[in-house]
Amino acid sequence: MIRSFRFTSLLSAAKPLRSFACSSSPAIEPPQCSSSSSISLRITHPKTPLFLRAPSHAAPLSEVWKWHGWAKDLASSVDDNSSPEDEDSLDSILLLRELKWLIEDSIEASDHHHPVIITGTETPRGDDGEKKSVKLRASLEELYDLWRQRIEKRRPFQYVVGCEHWRDLVLCVEEGVLIPRPETELVVDMVEEVVRGDEWFKRGVWADLGTGSGAIAIGVARVLGGCGRVIATDLSHVAIAVAGNNVRRYGLEGMVEVREGSWFEPLKDVEGKLVGLVSNPPYIPSDDIPGLQAEVGRHEPRLALDGGVDGTDSLLHLCDGASRMLTSGGFFAFETNGEKQSKMIVDYMTSNLKDSFSGVKIVSDFAGIGRFVTGFRL
Amino acid sequence: MSSLIINRSRSRSVLLWKTYGIKITSIISHSFTDSVSSSGFSSSDSTRSFKTTSSGFESGKISNLAFSRNSFVSTARTLSSEAVPVASTCDGLTVERIIANQWPILDENESDWKSHAAAIAQSIQVIKRRLQWKKLLVRLRMLSVELNKPHLWDDPTHAGKISREHGSLTGKMKGVMTFERELLEHIDMLKLAKEEKDSELESETMSALKEMRRVSKEKELEALLSAENDQCSCYIEVQAGAGGTESNDWAAMVMEMYKTWAQRRKFSVTVVDEMPGEMAGIKRATIKVNGEYAYGYAKAEVGVHRLVRISPFDSGKRRHTSFAAVAVIPILGDGSTRVQINDSDLRIERFRSGGAGGQHANTTDSAVRIIHIPTGITATCQNERSQHMNKASAMAVLQSRLDQLEMARQTAMNAQHTQSLTEISWGNQIRTYVLHPYRMVKDLRTNYEVSDPDSVLEGDLDGFILSFLSSSLDKGDDEH
Ligand SMILES: C[S@@+](CC[C@H](N)C(=O)[O-])C[C@H]1O[C@@H](n2cnc3c(N)ncnc32)[C@H](O)[C@@H]1O
Repeated sequence: MIRSFRFTSLLSAAKPLRSFACSSSPAIEPPQCSSSSSISLRITHPKTPLFLRAPSHAAPLSEVWKWHGWAKDLASSVDDNSSPEDEDSLDSILLLRELKWLIEDSIEASDHHHPVIITGTETPRGDDGEKKSVKLRASLEELYDLWRQRIEKRRPFQYVVGCEHWRDLVLCVEEGVLIPRPETELVVDMVEEVVRGDEWFKRGVWADLGTGSGAIAIGVARVLGGCGRVIATDLSHVAIAVAGNNVRRYGLEGMVEVREGSWFEPLKDVEGKLVGLVSNPPYIPSDDIPGLQAEVGRHEPRLALDGGVDGTDSLLHLCDGASRMLTSGGFFAFETNGEKQSKMIVDYMTSNLKDSFSGVKIVSDFAGIGRFVTGFRL
Repeated sequence: MSSLIINRSRSRSVLLWKTYGIKITSIISHSFTDSVSSSGFSSSDSTRSFKTTSSGFESGKISNLAFSRNSFVSTARTLSSEAVPVASTCDGLTVERIIANQWPILDENESDWKSHAAAIAQSIQVIKRRLQWKKLLVRLRMLSVELNKPHLWDDPTHAGKISREHGSLTGKMKGVMTFERELLEHIDMLKLAKEEKDSELESETMSALKEMRRVSKEKELEALLSAENDQCSCYIEVQAGAGGTESNDWAAMVMEMYKTWAQRRKFSVTVVDEMPGEMAGIKRATIKVNGEYAYGYAKAEVGVHRLVRISPFDSGKRRHTSFAAVAVIPILGDGSTRVQINDSDLRIERFRSGGAGGQHANTTDSAVRIIHIPTGITATCQNERSQHMNKASAMAVLQSRLDQLEMARQTAMNAQHTQSLTEISWGNQIRTYVLHPYRMVKDLRTNYEVSDPDSVLEGDLDGFILSFLSSSLDKGDDEH
């Protein structure tokens, strides 16, 4: 399905062949290019997540209960079917929580049957369940199908419901776009801190490179308040469409501009002018890709994950670009694969680029892993 | 008709004139709204009669009381600094005299003003006792002195606190006094009607007295929830005792009981934190109960709950005893002074994390744990859909835990209901639920008992709660 190419030309991926979604990281390592025929020549319309669909389906409460019972059993059975040594297995407690959220997203709340009633321990009384009907945002068949996909196909829950709750946002996501991770929320916290310390950062232009669903760009825009500007770029056509849609949903069209292209290529007009640069680029070493958790490896786009041989292709490219793109005093924050990569990046910036940056440091995520590298342009 | 109204309002003013020597028409309208506003009395599902020794409940049915916070309206705040005048009728009858007269209290439907008056006067006495009337007046005087200090507002937080408490106590005091005055006015009015042989006025006044009698029962209950923070929302926490699956299952049943209780009371419930047991049930859980007076009610549940039953987990079908501890934490309103938390005192951890994280992992689990380093107090939240929200929600729990700790420290009264889960000793049993060999739920503090454990476990807790609240307030009989 996904093939890796060797791509020797330094072809800027500005307008990659439409049938390819390409990642070109010039110079350092041969970039990979993922081809995915489903993306070719498609004008992408973002999908509507479950929770935003109209409640145009109806089913008797008893049928919904039946589905819920079935879904619960399926979720609980995963524990029996996996050995405890198996690292990549589903966890029934998490699945049950996801089931609750699936219900929240797909059943219209009303006075008589708040979703809670269905998830609660209460069992149907009398013929109540026959008479009452519940309004659904997806047909019952679809709900059966969706839950099966979640468990049997290991389709990520966020793709199943079409959204990811991230910070205080609800972002639409779909296949072809990376599901934003909890760790990445901290990038916005770091920006918030910098902005709080100096109003200057509020008035300038920021960039979020490889924006995916638009998560960081939208988070940063909200932190900047009315006056700032964020340019969000991505090479993926789907990402561009999804990010644009999310930006619109939060009414930020005036602040966040989404541009298609490879890394700095679409930013020529703001070279040397950025007050902030943030990115969560692909950073997983290529060799680790086959061993990824099923939800990630089988369903999320390789373009969003594969960072080359040691995972730092894009990161190093971003470091070089940061010195060119940021104005003096500008702030940068990059997410990395963890301790080892963070150290490499810090080393690179404090030796090869030592005249460009100050205050370069590693910041840990909540799991205590050195996850981010941040600093300022001298 | 209209002439009658004019006639009557004239005679009311005249009466007031006679009663107080002043004309205070604003208070008339005030007292009317008072008695009308709290009429949302819907007696619904629970009709179990209330067997308790405390006064005031014999005739009552526990119902979903609609508490209207504004039923005791406060307008002026200076009143309290003066000595409280004792209201009386034209011929010198006061609430105390009415009680001293020991008029027999008849059924509500008997048109006997003395009976109504005696019942209302008795309620007023109960209300005053529950409000800790004398203490309240003393405190009010202290607060007035404080409020009149010239540099009070140099410390706005302190000033805000003082003036809020002053406002709230004044409201309570005025509410009772207005009610008292209203009773005496009605009595005057009734006598006047009799003198003037105005039978229409007489019967209207009689029904007004009857209505007051009904309202006074509500006010008695309202007075049960008049302590500081009673009207707050709260967290309810349940922790399983020793004994593994058996107790974990019991803890889950207790938690379920509170969830349904809260839903019946139209409080909103959200699960904040839940640590499931290995086989069944929960080891520990925290829910947030949102709504007016949630804390006032729930605080009555603090302590250890004991279950006796044939274990569904024991293939030998033996009898088991399990324990679950309950703690309740008020969520202080924005107005209250809350403990200041320094970011640098916090350690935030991803809960149950493992593996490389970041792009490697896709999980919907974004639980965090926040540790307040100086106190060692922690809070966890895992039921929100983003890490950011889990963190915010855990922060709110942490804030309330620290607030509670501070309250306990400040008041040093260490009232039982301010205990945190870790402080509750397993010896502090408050209630026993027996499912076998007989069926009964009994509160060990009040001896209130019910022979239908199922209804209790389905959230029918108000009987237990109200009997506890009334017994704990009414036993302080030295008041008044
Ligand atoms: C790990 S994802 C991050 C997405 C998003 N910022 C987030 O944190 O959820 C990396 C993103 O970089 C994009 N990307 C990969 N190669 C790129 C390139 N050469 N130029 C621009 N974006 C690229 C991918 O399409 C993907 O959306």
